[in-house]
Amino acid sequence: MSKTIERQLHLVDFTIGSVLRRKGKNAALLLVYTLVIFALASVLFFTRALRTQAASVLKNAPEIIVQRTLTGRYQFIPVRYADSIKNIRGIIAIKPRLWGYYYDGGFGANYTLIASGVDSLKPGTIAIGSAIVKLRKLQIGDIVPFTGSDGNPQTFTIAKILSDESALVSADLVVITEADYRALSGIPAGYATDLVLTVRNPREYSTIAEKISRLLPDTRPIVKTEILRTYDAVFSWRAGIMLLVLAGAVLAFFIFSFDKATGLSAEERKEIGVLKAIGWETSDVLAMKFWEGIALSLTAFFLGTILGYAHVFLGGGLFFAPILKGWSTLYPSFVLTPHINFGDIIALFFLSVVPYTVSTITPAWRVATIDPDSVMR
Amino acid sequence: MINIQNVSKVFNAGRPNEFTALLSISLEIHLQEATILKGPSGSGKTTLLSLIGCMARPTSGRIFVNEKEITSLPERFLTRIRRETFGFIFQRFNLLRGFSALENVMAPAYPTGEKYSLLKRRALDLLAMLDLDHKQGAKSEWLSGGEAQRVAIARALIHDPAIIIADEPTAHLDAKLSAEFLSIMEILKKEGKTLIIASHDPLIYDSTLTGRIVEIHGGELAHGGTIA
Amino acid sequence: MRRSTLYITISSTLLFVSLFFGVFSVVKIKQSHEVDFRMGRLVRELDLTDLALFTEAGYTRHLSQTDFTTPFQDSPMSFEHFPSGSFVAPPAHLRGGHVKNH
Repeated sequence: MSKTIERQLHLVDFTIGSVLRRKGKNAALLLVYTLVIFALASVLFFTRALRTQAASVLKNAPEIIVQRTLTGRYQFIPVRYADSIKNIRGIIAIKPRLWGYYYDGGFGANYTLIASGVDSLKPGTIAIGSAIVKLRKLQIGDIVPFTGSDGNPQTFTIAKILSDESALVSADLVVITEADYRALSGIPAGYATDLVLTVRNPREYSTIAEKISRLLPDTRPIVKTEILRTYDAVFSWRAGIMLLVLAGAVLAFFIFSFDKATGLSAEERKEIGVLKAIGWETSDVLAMKFWEGIALSLTAFFLGTILGYAHVFLGGGLFFAPILKGWSTLYPSFVLTPHINFGDIIALFFLSVVPYTVSTITPAWRVATIDPDSVMR
Repeated sequence: MINIQNVSKVFNAGRPNEFTALLSISLEIHLQEATILKGPSGSGKTTLLSLIGCMARPTSGRIFVNEKEITSLPERFLTRIRRETFGFIFQRFNLLRGFSALENVMAPAYPTGEKYSLLKRRALDLLAMLDLDHKQGAKSEWLSGGEAQRVAIARALIHDPAIIIADEPTAHLDAKLSAEFLSIMEILKKEGKTLIIASHDPLIYDSTLTGRIVEIHGGELAHGGTIA
Repeated sequence: MRRSTLYITISSTLLFVSLFFGVFSVVKIKQSHEVDFRMGRLVRELDLTDLALFTEAGYTRHLSQTDFTTPFQDSPMSFEHFPSGSFVAPPAHLRGGHVKNH
């Protein structure tokens, strides 16, 4: 047993020595390889964590939202529409929801205003999300002006700041009382942005949704399962940038492997001949080649994955920030919970380690089996 | 005793560049003496050394080392025998580039899984015996011709083989280094090792080292037939 | 130091750090239950439906509430909100969910 281990250690000694002969080239290769894995791992970790958290949080979303459309566009929904559907079996409660956007030209920010019946909010006061606080450097007690739909300014006092830890759902929110919102936005009485339905049994969602579509043909029900599916598809591999990142990484791995797979140089061939001549068997040569592939790819895999983890979960994904922010001025800080999926890591392992190692061993196969006699010549 | 029976070696058989390096060689090589293979270049000396040293198989014929046939052995066993029985000194030394003298001497033993400290000790002792211990850390490409040759000899001795094979060892050496080589070979012979040296250097075959000379011309033994 | 020893040391360190991160993850996930619970409560109180990931446009801010025409907006000159728009495909329910065509 210890002979087997010692043999492998000797082969590793040789392999590392061999790799160190071209320090610069191999150091660069290791660096780039690690970087590619770092990028890929970061993306995998980030998207997986975000999607997991989204699912966990949004399972508390409303079961069914009824939206009204006219001429193919979003319209206010008459609150009396609730009467038409309240008798559908399975619907426990219906209430109107009032919300909308407010564009603040001064800061280039889009707020989401939402009316809430939460008791603690008094008329004339608002609760705002943490990103707004950061952008405008506000605190409790500050007075914030808004321009109403009639063109006149209205002011509100900040009574509460929504927690930073809830930024993922609340970063850009302005919570306001219903009366204040109607006055500000001009939504007429008897109308709401949409209707929120409480339904206990998830299996009834689609039946109820169909009934609603029939009873109220100008409406569009949105069901919780669709909301969850939407966020599961966020940062999907099939979309734009993610596809580019994946394609780039795969291309990089392919190029690295290709360089190895295209065969050995005359010098490398000769050296294998010498090794065989001094007493190495074919299996020894191949084992050494295996270590050569592993030494680089496995090290890069661990290093890249560790750095990716640190980047996303300890560093708040700071390299992603500029990309994710895009044009928006309000964004949540990404303090994500490290929900790791082993499948992702294993897929990354297979992508980064296996092709490269195989490409290192394969060209040597043929050469390793040739009689060492050619070395004598 | 090494018994070579009717051995032939043909390269690229069946192709336009077919070449017969050895033709029906039958020969007995006695142990514990120095046998010199003498002949011009291209005569097949290297090929014969290669076959004796288990580096290649003959196209036809059989070779016995101490009554054990080696020609039909699978690669595994052939390698083991090569490792344990023979030590090779190549014409151009063939040291591993980028590795130190010490590592070059240790390299043949890597596959055996021998304990590192023991192996290193043995390699250092060999280098010391050849006055090279001060150069153990030097990369092989920085060694002088004489130093490189001594490393090659040390490497050949790492498994303490019974038979040393050298192919034109003095071809790239000056007179002084050639003489040094000879004296090292004398020491090895005194220790009871068998030497098989291919050379057309008179310094070698005219020396007191030489026990027997076998002449080869054009792939065949010069005096024809079996030599006892 | 023998080369293989160095290699083993480095590899072991990396492995150790990986395992540490594994444990770290487990601990953090446990802690997150409370945070997620509080966030969930806020979502329920305010009847929220979307994450505040991309706040620059309606169809990127409320992904699940978006309808067919929002991305087209009103003018051929209105630009696509890049890169946010490229992170998300149109929600599944717009690409043939249970909703029948109007």
